[in-house]
Amino acid sequence: MLNISLLILNFTMKIKRYLYIYSLTTSCKFYRLSIAQDLNFGQVVADILCEFLEVAIHLILYVREVYPSGIFQKKKKYNVPVQMSCHPELNQYIQDTLQCVKPLIEKNDAEKVAVVIMDKEHHPVERFVFEISQPPLLSISSDTLLSHVEQLLRAFILKISVCDAVLNSNPPGCSFTVLVHTREAATRNMEKVQVIKDFPWIVADEQEVHMPEPRLIPLKTMTSEIVKMQLYVEERAQKT
Amino acid sequence: MDELYLDNIDEYVNDHNKIVTYKWLSLTLGVHVNTAKQMLFHYLDHKRKESSAPLHATYLVTGKWVENGNTSHKVTVVREEQLEDVKSKMSLTVSVHVYSVQKASLKDSGPLYSVDYDAVKDNLNSCSRYSAIKCADAVPFAPGDTRPAGDSLQFPPPDPNQIRAPSFDGPGNQTTSKPAAKPQPKGIMGMFASKAAPKKQEPGKEIKVEQKEDTTTADVSKSKSASKSSTMSNFFGSQATKRAEKTVKEEETSSSSVKDKSESSPPAKKLKETPNEEKVKETQPKEEKVKETQPKEEKVKETQPKEAKVKVTKEAKVKEAKPNARSKSKRKEPSDSEEDKMETKKRRRIKKPQSDSSDDDDVIPDSPKQQEMRKPPPTPERLLKEKIVSQPNECKRRKRRRVMKSRTFMDEEGCIVTEKGYESESYSDSEDHVPSAKASNVPARAATGKREDEKKSKKKISPPANKGTKQASIMGFFQKK
Repeated sequence: MLNISLLILNFTMKIKRYLYIYSLTTSCKFYRLSIAQDLNFGQVVADILCEFLEVAIHLILYVREVYPSGIFQKKKKYNVPVQMSCHPELNQYIQDTLQCVKPLIEKNDAEKVAVVIMDKEHHPVERFVFEISQPPLLSISSDTLLSHVEQLLRAFILKISVCDAVLNSNPPGCSFTVLVHTREAATRNMEKVQVIKDFPWIVADEQEVHMPEPRLIPLKTMTSEIVKMQLYVEERAQKT
Repeated sequence: MDELYLDNIDEYVNDHNKIVTYKWLSLTLGVHVNTAKQMLFHYLDHKRKESSAPLHATYLVTGKWVENGNTSHKVTVVREEQLEDVKSKMSLTVSVHVYSVQKASLKDSGPLYSVDYDAVKDNLNSCSRYSAIKCADAVPFAPGDTRPAGDSLQFPPPDPNQIRAPSFDGPGNQTTSKPAAKPQPKGIMGMFASKAAPKKQEPGKEIKVEQKEDTTTADVSKSKSASKSSTMSNFFGSQATKRAEKTVKEEETSSSSVKDKSESSPPAKKLKETPNEEKVKETQPKEEKVKETQPKEEKVKETQPKEAKVKVTKEAKVKEAKPNARSKSKRKEPSDSEEDKMETKKRRRIKKPQSDSSDDDDVIPDSPKQQEMRKPPPTPERLLKEKIVSQPNECKRRKRRRVMKSRTFMDEEGCIVTEKGYESESYSDSEDHVPSAKASNVPARAATGKREDEKKSKKKISPPANKGTKQASIMGFFQKK
């Protein structure tokens, strides 16, 4: 039943989105919830997740020292301080990436979103994997749901902040990329429809994906009514 | 004491990889904060002797800090490596205790706040259950009790000439329990003088001495806050005559607090709380006599004390920022920042209905109030930032200009904070690190890009989500801002 409603809503999305945008601009997340009955719940969940992923990616870049800490600035998210980058190109890249990922999350096609840190030779050194799954019957019922989810996401942020205790340090000169593992063949649609102009997604090379002898370190798991998420780190045994 | 707590802490630190702060530990195990501090200290000691996995600790150092001839009371969280350095720089170290223990070496102080956030939130009604800071007069109102505090305290309205002396005698007696009881000199300066005295008496750094210090400072602050609340409550006894006295008094308190700058959290909190209480109560008498000519007078006089209060709190915050800007350590006023955040939120809420009610009567005297009120809502996070970034840097950030980069008096560890002020302004700093292929273009774009980023991140809207749609006109309206 939800699939049918999703299809119908896809066609009428433009009109609905007008309301959606208006509600967003007038107030905070809780208002969004009140209009959610008219809207695709998947969209709401996708928004929440993409906001979280943006913060998480920035934090990973900060904690793992992929970029110098000078470009980061403390900002507030979920009522706690988080480090976000100020560099406009980096921010734009991350936002474009997540905007492309968002439709996949909406349709529950994204199985994993991985932030891969690679060394100078573009071999993966570390992988922060967010495994996401949404329950088939999505319903946002309780009032305290969003604050509960906020609390869980805060715990994720905290775990990322202290992950350097369990990980070896990376070699200098690392870069990062974001890989999305999708279910089935959802990427076929992505190649046909460019969500953002001049920001193409390509199938990842085997070289970028395969990590020899990875060590698995689980970081955090969360279960809520709207989404289940797991974060773990795969680390190469020898980094340098 | 049984040794189970050592195993508990060990489990939290090593197995769960948590950051164990003393506040979190006290709320989790249900013990007094001072016990929690001692537990952490013993645990750290124990583990260091065993020399097992490397542990990192942070410490809370409190003391007198002299900077450019200005003395201030500084409360700072420092890493273990910086502890001796900071202690030696303080003119008088009042207290040192373990703040947190963790496996990870933290790059910044953000997670320390996050750790306590949820613990305090879960115990919101009783978060001060195990606290060492107590005030007998700080009793929450019973639900449904809307009487102003003045009635319940039942203080006789004092003579205007002797406003200070009698109001201090009553609560001043509470301090006789203090071990070093002294005859309180009359007046507000007397409060600060007596507070300074116990500080000088005990420059000890041990935890036990620090415990005693906590209680003495708590007592002094308790008496100070009690007397302050009594002086405030006196105003509600008889309203008409007290307005003039109040303005005089508020200006005195503001000037005296500026002079002394003693900023341990209880008095600062009380100073902010009592203005809040006052404002709440003032709405009631105001609403009672709306059409009299009195309201106009009251409002004019009100804006003065309010501005004084807002100035006091803003000055307090700015001055907190100033000495903290100079510290070579991770800085954060843990209880202050939380309380300040809550205070600003509280202040916002209480101020809003007031301005709404007074809008009808007179617009002009309210506009300065409203402007100040507008400042907190858009920038509650900015206040947090203000405390962290030093004052001159904050001005630079607003103007978004590249300013002199000569502020190199910090060494690497402390630069985390001050560099940020420059980072946002002058991209030339980061050009050294970031590949400088577009060095010339980046600075020009960075200033505008950063401004947009700030707007984007602050607004919590997801503008990229709307890029593909045809409602660009709606978003365009907001992006122009």
